[in-house]
Amino acid sequence: MLASLTNVTKRYVRTEGLRDITLEFPAGEVVGVLGLNGSGKSTLLKVLAGLLFPSEGTATVFGGAPRRNRARVVYLGETDALWTWMTPQDALRFMTGLYADFDAARFQELLDNLEVPQRKTKAMSKGERGRLRLAMALARDARLYLLDEPLAGIDLLSREKILTSIVKEWHTDETILLSTHEVAEAEALFERVVFLRQGYLALDKRAEELRSEGRSVVDTFREVLS
Amino acid sequence: MTEEKHWELDMNAGPIFVQIGDNVRQMLARGDLKQGDKLPSARELAAMLGVNPNTVVHAYGELERMEVIETKRGRGTFVRTDAPVTQMRRELLRNAACGFAEEVRRLGVDPREALGVLEEVWDVGQPD
Amino acid sequence: MSSLSRFRTLLWLEARRSWVWAVGLIGSLLFWAWGMNQVRFVDPGEQLGVRAVILLVACGIGAMILCLMIGRIRSETRHGQYQVLLLTPPSGYLHTLARFSFAGVVAIVYYIIIGGLAWWAIAQAGLRLDAGSAAQLMLVCPLYGVVLGILPALAWTLLLMVFISSYRISGPGWVPGTVMILATPFLVSWIAEGIWRISYRLPSWRLFAGLRAAIDTAAWEAELEGFEGVFALPQEPLWVMLALSIVVLVVAGRIWQEVEA
Repeated sequence: MLASLTNVTKRYVRTEGLRDITLEFPAGEVVGVLGLNGSGKSTLLKVLAGLLFPSEGTATVFGGAPRRNRARVVYLGETDALWTWMTPQDALRFMTGLYADFDAARFQELLDNLEVPQRKTKAMSKGERGRLRLAMALARDARLYLLDEPLAGIDLLSREKILTSIVKEWHTDETILLSTHEVAEAEALFERVVFLRQGYLALDKRAEELRSEGRSVVDTFREVLS
Repeated sequence: MTEEKHWELDMNAGPIFVQIGDNVRQMLARGDLKQGDKLPSARELAAMLGVNPNTVVHAYGELERMEVIETKRGRGTFVRTDAPVTQMRRELLRNAACGFAEEVRRLGVDPREALGVLEEVWDVGQPD
Repeated sequence: MSSLSRFRTLLWLEARRSWVWAVGLIGSLLFWAWGMNQVRFVDPGEQLGVRAVILLVACGIGAMILCLMIGRIRSETRHGQYQVLLLTPPSGYLHTLARFSFAGVVAIVYYIIIGGLAWWAIAQAGLRLDAGSAAQLMLVCPLYGVVLGILPALAWTLLLMVFISSYRISGPGWVPGTVMILATPFLVSWIAEGIWRISYRLPSWRLFAGLRAAIDTAAWEAELEGFEGVFALPQEPLWVMLALSIVVLVVAGRIWQEVEA
């Protein structure tokens, strides 16, 4: 088991929260974490990343505390950002100097595939920034990837590039948790889908199973979350 | 080799691995794919279609079981030279015919009239 | 990957983040130097006095700017870079040490240059210092002052900022921060009193011993009548402040490590 949540509840003053969530994530899965805004998707990923601590219950990653194992986990947040003066070259220096599992050659390849310009991030569009951050994330050779809304606010063409890159970079012993609103676009990528509604676990099923019952993931999304 | 335009996936039309298998057999039946042709690797096809590589692996596994394709170690996945193309073509045709027949029945039209319409459409549809 | 290599990367990051502040600060010394140069009185004593005041102002403003430079964690929290840093492999201790080290080096350079300006002003007033006293003025005094006052202030600012940023999300993060800010003057006076009481037990460092012998202007003889020409710097304050700085840094590093973002 690469990651697990056992009876995790996260209490907040603000919107999101998790209510008594129990989930297990073995190696080799691509999991879609789906739900509306405020359903707890981001919170779930942040708890597994070690950015937030459960109010109740335990979260484990690689058998230990998430924050302690952060060197082996790739977290791509929705709201985290890079310094405005950073160029892809600076990002390379940053990652190479701090992460032992960072593959510089792969990073360069991803930058080319995703067409990230060699400019400061303040001179980049939102899509270009998103692609740079994704390149930084996918160039790391880890076993657990937590991608929080990697497609949010990104133009259509960039989104396609991002999804293709994710497919290309994934290896069969790695687990990716991907939360997104763009369910239709990403649905074919998911082997398993986990639906969250207002902090509760609403559904946890294999995508192909849903489809053999005649429903697409998008249909299920509407059903489960309305 | 197989290009993206030959593949059709519909998220509402049942499991993807089944659809991929259907697509391969369709391409074979229509001649877009020939016996002995090399298929893209599971990962390549997955990237092209934007689907999970395991799904393609599942699909290829099924096709292998149905003896349509075979994997040659170190060289890739190929359509079998003895793949039952004629059989697949007939199957596809039958499916299309069933659809037509169903429509004819629903409309309550005489079968001979229906055949006449078919001939009409066939002549019109022929390329010059 | 060694801690050293990670530390170097964090230092690099700090330098890239803050170089404008550092260059601006050191560059501002040109302004102070120009200002001092504009001061021209007939009486060298008065001239030196005014120039000394200018240098004191430069010292104070420098301290404030250094604290502002090291304290920019708040904006990083708002824009998400703090989150990025929190998930990097290096420990919170290494992060705080990198920030502190950069600011510390900039501070040392700044105050040594001020020491140099002080030497110039004194020379202009007709007082020639012997080599020993000059070195003490330009190296020992600035370093003493930096360790005594600036490094603790930097450590304290860092702690304050990490504290505020870390408790941001659990509601009123500004409460502990405000408490810390309000408590600072009390803490400073309490520490100062304590240090004063224990000072001069250990042997102190004698400065400017060669000053009297080096004076060659009659104008100054009267001024310095009865002046031994020796300042005695106690060593206790230095060790206490150094120890306090280290403790504060460790606490800041620990908070960084243990708190949500």
